[in-house]
Amino acid sequence: MTAVNLAADSAADTAVSHPKGTSLGANMLRLAWRSMDFRIGLFVFGLLITLSVIGPFVSNISATQFHIMERFLPPFPMVGSRWPHIFGTDELGRDLFMRSLIGLRNALAIGVTSVIGMFTLGCAVGLVAGYFGRWTDIILMRLTDAQMSIPVIIMAITILGVSRPTPASVVAVLVLAGWPVYARVTRSVGLAERQKEYVRAAKILGASDIRIMLLHIAPNILPPIAFVAVLDIARMMIFEAIFGFIGIGIQPPTPTFGTIIASGTQYLINAWWITAIPGLLLAISLGSINLVGGALERARNQLLQGIG
Amino acid sequence: MIFALNFLLRRLAQGAVIVFLVAFLVFTLLRVVPGDPIRIILGPMTPPSVMEQTARELGLRDPIPIQFVHYLEQLAKGNLGHSFIRSRQGGSTGGSRGLTTFESQNRAAVSTLILNALPYSLQLAALGIGFTILIAFPIGLAAGLNAGRWPEKLALYISSAFVSLPNIWLGVVFILLFSARAGWLPAIGYKGFSYTILPALVLAVELSAVAIRAISVAIANALIENYVDVGRVRGLSRWQIIRRHVVRNASIPLLNLFGVQVIGMLLGSLFVVEYIFNYPGIGLLTINAVFERDFPVIQAIAILASAILVLVNIIVDFVATNVDRRLQY
Repeated sequence: MTAVNLAADSAADTAVSHPKGTSLGANMLRLAWRSMDFRIGLFVFGLLITLSVIGPFVSNISATQFHIMERFLPPFPMVGSRWPHIFGTDELGRDLFMRSLIGLRNALAIGVTSVIGMFTLGCAVGLVAGYFGRWTDIILMRLTDAQMSIPVIIMAITILGVSRPTPASVVAVLVLAGWPVYARVTRSVGLAERQKEYVRAAKILGASDIRIMLLHIAPNILPPIAFVAVLDIARMMIFEAIFGFIGIGIQPPTPTFGTIIASGTQYLINAWWITAIPGLLLAISLGSINLVGGALERARNQLLQGIG
Repeated sequence: MIFALNFLLRRLAQGAVIVFLVAFLVFTLLRVVPGDPIRIILGPMTPPSVMEQTARELGLRDPIPIQFVHYLEQLAKGNLGHSFIRSRQGGSTGGSRGLTTFESQNRAAVSTLILNALPYSLQLAALGIGFTILIAFPIGLAAGLNAGRWPEKLALYISSAFVSLPNIWLGVVFILLFSARAGWLPAIGYKGFSYTILPALVLAVELSAVAIRAISVAIANALIENYVDVGRVRGLSRWQIIRRHVVRNASIPLLNLFGVQVIGMLLGSLFVVEYIFNYPGIGLLTINAVFERDFPVIQAIAILASAILVLVNIIVDFVATNVDRRLQY
């Protein structure tokens, strides 16, 4: 969804009209903050991050330790549940709450790292293509098209399936899959920016191309793109879960949502919670990220179209 | 007419270059990763000398560019090669036991494997798109016609909720609720049309998240155009205006979206959903091929998939320019 909206609005970016002296990025934040969605999303997301980062340090429950006597304990309100296993335990007696929290931490780490990576790579390519134009532009954009014509899942299973997947290779695959969208958007916005007076002024003053791109153009066009990139964190977390589910993500015993959900499918009838509850936590985290990202996206659209 | 032809030829040439690049990348990638395919073809019990000889005969010891050229030659003749693993009967040989030579005639042709799996995937994709339209069109239309009011808000929350549901989780939950608990629908494998319904629903939830927003934006944008007022002056009823003008005009941006985004998403989601439901389509074939290191199958599917994406892009651009003459070629 991000791809469409990023691309569809890029044409409108030329007509940016926002109050003098403040940047589009700052106005986006201000406008988004007014919406209840944004605050609720941020609150839930903050809570989950705090839990997943601090939880495993504070608690002495292990996420990987087997407890054969405590296998298949049901989650909290059900008969037979046992404190402190509020999410229940899995087929090896491991605490599902702790496993979910660590799974969330891993998913977030992968999601955030890969989005930073694809943002950096994509925007760099887009800036260079848009700024220099001509052959540079043509070559870089054909490369972007080629990358976009490989379906993510096929690329991922080919690369990760035939080699031994590590967190780094998972991030690398996601970056490869995601950068073209950023390259396209940055290029189209950058093309328009190149004609503006401040760029010509900088050129006349003798600034180098790299200096103009990094110090003049980038700070003007990148913040709005970065805010909308929040939505991609959620998408990448879903991909991370899918990879884990297929068995081409981060390998066990490290808990990830994908491996937890996959292992639970074997015990679906009698121990449905192994799959259902960690998955629900993932869905809630994704929901909160999408609320925040969606509010930022709407704020940008409003500012660009001058509505509201 | 001339520029239409010109446009098609130019785009097809560009597309061919892209598919060529993809083919070369996938081909190289499969050959630089650790692991010798000859071990997979012949099985681990074969004497090393036989292995080496067969590898030479099959051209597996040639430099990668030369192997690629041979592959392209075969490809040009319409020959996608033979599976490393699967026998003609469809079963996996797991490395031929006892046999010391590799007879490609004994292994299934990649084209046969793909053609056998394709109808299942097409059926699943078609039903998934059908469900998507049933879910997304009414919601999107209601949202687009009531921009700024509660239906739009509601549609927004529905699509946010849909986009936040991981398909692997949703698939398993559907299996649990509708198949294991309620017993309404079968879920695992394929023994009849009813096995398509649950996977198609999972696909539809994923696609609807995008479709709802796209439809509502397209309708809302079409509503503020002149022809709406003109239609009112002409005495058309509200529904006539919507049906004749708004929906028709909104279909152009939608067409673009459905081409690029939805087909791309569909290709990816299809793989995952087929894997979850053990549904015997292209996706399951590919994922199994990866685990078995059946390179001919993987590269054929990767090339076909990117060719489809490229073609769909060209067709969508072409149709869009024909529906709306204002667009430039």
